Amino acid sequence: MPSDSSSSSSSSSSDGDDRNPNSDPNPDPNPDSIDQSLDALESQLASISMSSRSPTATIDDEEVAEEEEEQSVEQLTIGNGPLNEEIRAEEATDSVEDEHIGNNSNLRAEASGVINTRPSSLCRNISEVDEVERPLSPSSSGYAGERGSTSGDDEIDDDDEDDNEIREVENDGVLESHAQWVSGKRHPDEDDASVSWRKRKKHFFILSHSGKPIYSRYGDEHKLAGFSATLQAIISFVENGGDRVKLVRAGKHQVVFLVKGPIYLVCISCTEEPYESLKGQLELLYGQMILILTKSVNRCFEKNPKFDMTSLLGGTDVVFSSLIHSFSWNPATFLHAYSCLPLAYATRQAAGAILQDVAGSGVLFALLMCKHKVISLVGAQKASLHPDDILLLSNFIMSSESFRTSESFSPICLPRYNPMAFLYAYVHYFDIDTYLVLLTTSSDAFYHLKDSRIRIETILLKSNVLSEVQRSLVDGGMHIGDLIIDPTSRAGAVSSHLGQPRPATGSPGRIMDGFAGIGGPAGLWHFIYRSIYLDQYVSSEFSSPINSLRQQKRLYRAYQKLYTSMHDKRIGPHKTQFRRDENYVLLCWVTQDFELYAAFDPLADKALAIKICNRVCQWVKDVENEIFLLGASPFSW
Amino acid sequence: MGCSSSVPDRNTGRAGGINPDSGGVIDAKNLRVKLVLLGDSGVGKSCIVLRFVRGQFDPTSKVTVGASFLSQTVALQDSTTVKFEIWDTAGQERYAALAPLYYRGAAVAVVVYDITSPESFTKAQYWVKELQKHGSPDIVMALVGNKADLQEKREVPVQDGIDYAEKNGMFFIETSAKTADNINQLFEEIAKRLPRPSPT
Ligand SMILES: Nc1nc2c(ncn2[C@@H]2O[C@H](COP(=O)(O)OP(=O)(O)OP(=O)(O)O)[C@@H](O)[C@H]2O)c(=O)[nH]1
Ligand SMILES: [Mg+2]
Repeated sequence: MPSDSSSSSSSSSSDGDDRNPNSDPNPDPNPDSIDQSLDALESQLASISMSSRSPTATIDDEEVAEEEEEQSVEQLTIGNGPLNEEIRAEEATDSVEDEHIGNNSNLRAEASGVINTRPSSLCRNISEVDEVERPLSPSSSGYAGERGSTSGDDEIDDDDEDDNEIREVENDGVLESHAQWVSGKRHPDEDDASVSWRKRKKHFFILSHSGKPIYSRYGDEHKLAGFSATLQAIISFVENGGDRVKLVRAGKHQVVFLVKGPIYLVCISCTEEPYESLKGQLELLYGQMILILTKSVNRCFEKNPKFDMTSLLGGTDVVFSSLIHSFSWNPATFLHAYSCLPLAYATRQAAGAILQDVAGSGVLFALLMCKHKVISLVGAQKASLHPDDILLLSNFIMSSESFRTSESFSPICLPRYNPMAFLYAYVHYFDIDTYLVLLTTSSDAFYHLKDSRIRIETILLKSNVLSEVQRSLVDGGMHIGDLIIDPTSRAGAVSSHLGQPRPATGSPGRIMDGFAGIGGPAGLWHFIYRSIYLDQYVSSEFSSPINSLRQQKRLYRAYQKLYTSMHDKRIGPHKTQFRRDENYVLLCWVTQDFELYAAFDPLADKALAIKICNRVCQWVKDVENEIFLLGASPFSW
Repeated sequence: MGCSSSVPDRNTGRAGGINPDSGGVIDAKNLRVKLVLLGDSGVGKSCIVLRFVRGQFDPTSKVTVGASFLSQTVALQDSTTVKFEIWDTAGQERYAALAPLYYRGAAVAVVVYDITSPESFTKAQYWVKELQKHGSPDIVMALVGNKADLQEKREVPVQDGIDYAEKNGMFFIETSAKTADNINQLFEEIAKRLPRPSPT
C-alpha cells in the first residue's frame, strides 16, 4: 500500500518545488505556452475560488449543505471501505506517470501559488455553490424530475453502479418525494455519498464566449453564472494575449480548456488523468452537443453574442452525465474505436445481410446495437461512420429513456460525418438491450423506415439473431481463464464460442501456476486489443482479482495513461512499454495492425508476460470472426 | 372538469410531412387518422398517449426526443373504428422548428397544457396559432388541460380553457393521465368529430 510519502511526491511535480511561475527556470519554448499570463491567471484562479465561495444563500441553507456533505462522507467510508487508501494508490500510480509525461510536456502552464496553499479548495468551493444555490426549476417544465436534475444525474458516475439505464429508472421514482434543493441527492443512501465524493474530483462546464453558462455537470447552469464569467475572463484574457489556454495546473487540479468557436469547454479535475485524455473528453462532450444541436448553433451567437443556449439543451443533462460517466469505464472514449458484441460469424452475417438490404433503399446508415456494442452496421455506398459518432449516438440513445417507450423519429447530427446537418434517426428497441438505428437524410422517410424495421425484425427473429444476442450477453466475451498457452492443444476449443467450452482444469494446455484461478495464466489479469485496420477493439471480461468497479476503474485509468503515453507525439511513437508498479505489470505493444494493452499481476515474470501477450494476439486472431465485424470496416468502403 | 366543443366539420387533408403511403380512410366504417400532440415540455403529452394506448401511467416518464410514434384503435358505438396514428412530439424548445414535420397532414391536433402552469397555457395558445397558420385547413383541434388531479395546485381556471377553445373553434377537455380521468373520452370525442367519408 502506498505511503504518504508517495502521495506527497506526486504533488511535488506541481507544487513541491514551490516556485513562482514568473521565475520559472525553464521558460517554455512552446508557442502555446502562457508564461506571460500566469500572473494574471493566478489571480483569476484565486478569484474563482473566492467568487464561487460567495453564494447568496441564507445561512440556513449553507448549514444544511454542509451537514449533508459531512453525512455523505461518512456514508462513503462505511459503504466503500478504505477509499483514502484507494486514492493514495491512484496518486502513487500517477506520480510515476507524471514524471514520464511531465518531462516532455510543453503545454503545461503551472500556476502554483495562491491555489496551491489549499489544493482542494477549488473543487470544494464549486460544489458548495452548486448545493447551496439549488434553484427552483426555471421553466414551466412539469417534470418533477427536471428540477436540479443536473446534479441529480451525478450518480451516473457512481462507482457502485454499472448500468446507466437501470439507474435512471430507479432515480426518478424516489426523486419526487425529495425537497427540491436537495434533489441532487436522490437517495439518502450511500450511493449519493460517492456522488458527493465525485463532485470534488471532476467538473465539466460548457459556456459561451460571452461567459454564459451552457452546461455544468453539477449544479444548475444559471446559478453558476458568476463562475463561468470568471472562466470566460480567463479565456479571453489569454486569447487577447495571442495564446490559447489549454491547461492550467493549480495544485492537484488541472483546468483544461477547449475553445470551439463561440463555445468554450472546461474540465477541472483532480483525477490526475493526462491532459490529452481530458482534452479528448472535452472533444467528445462538444461532439455530444453537436449531435443534439448541430454546429449551426454557432449562428445564434453571431446574431446575439449573449444568446442563452441552455434552453436549447433542455432535458439533455442525462445525456451529458452518461457520457461523462463513460469517461471512467468505456475504453472507446480514449481508444477511438468501437467494440462488437461477440457473436457466431454466421449470426453476425445474417444481421449484416438484412441491414445491407435496407441500406440500399434510402438509408444512410443502419446500426444494430446491443447496449454500447455493435452487432452489425452498414453504410450506404461511400458513407463511413466514425467510431466516435457510434459512441456518441449510442450514448444519446441509451441515455434518453423515451426511445425505449416506442419507436421514434428524431433529428440527430453525426459530428464526424457532417457537423452542420441533421440526419433523421429512426430508433426502435427490439428488447431491453437491443436496438436498431436507421439514419436517413430524408425528413419524411418515417413510414419507409418503419417498414424496413419490420422486415429487419422478421429476419432477425427467423435467424435467431436476437436470442443469440441475449446468449452472448450471458456468456460474455473473452475470458482470460480460457487462454491456452500451448497452441497445439487449442484446436478443439476454438470451434465453439470464443474457445469455450473451457478446458477442464489440469488440461495440458493450461499453465497451472500460482495464478490459476485468479485471472489467466502467468498472472494475466486483463487485456484490451485494438485492431487499427478495423477501428474496433476487444476487451477481455473482468475477472478476479479485478472484481470491483473500483478496481476496474483504476485499471481503466491505467490503460488510459498507457494509451496516452504510447501516442505521445512529442516523444515519438512507442513500440512497446513494460511498466511495473505496486498495482500491476502493464505491457503495451503497438504494431501497424494492432495495439495490445495487457495487465498482469505486479509480480509477473516479464519474459512470461511477453509470451502471454503473443498468445493473446494469436487467440484474438483465432476468434476474430466472432469478436469483430469483418469486411465492413466503416472506413473501408 | 370542463368540456366544451365546437364545429370542425371539414375534410381531412394530408400533404407533406410524415404521412402513411395510403390515405387516411381504410373504408367508410374504418378510419385511419394521423393525430399530433403539441404542447410545452412536461405537460404530460407522453403520459396521455401511454395511458390511452397502453393503459399505463409511469410517473418517471422521460422527456421525449424528437417524436414518438404509437397507434391505437377506438371502436365507436355506431360500430365504426378509428385507428389513431399518434405523433407524440417533444415539447423541448429545440424541436419547435421541427413541429411542421409532424403536424403537416395531421387530421387531428391535440394541444396540451398543464393546469398548474400558466406558461404552458400560453405555449398552448402559441401552438394553436401556429396550427391555424400552417396546419391543414380542416384540422380537428382539441385543447387539453392535463394534470386535472392537481386541483389544489391549479393556476389555469377551467373557464379560461373553455373560453379560449370556444373562440378558436376547438374541442376542450380537462384530463388526468395519472388517474385516467377523461383520457378515453378525449379520444372518443375526437373520433366522433372526425369528418366521415360519405358512404357510397
Ligand atoms: N399529477 C400528474 N402528473 C402528470 C400527469 N401527466 C403527466 N404527469 C407528470 O408530468 C411529467 C411529464 O409528463 P410527460 O408526459 O413526459 O410530458 P411531455 O408533455 O410528454 O413532455 P415532453 O416529452 O418533454 O414534451 C411526468 O413526470 C409525469 O409524471 C397527470 O395527469 N397528473
Ligand atoms: Mg413526451
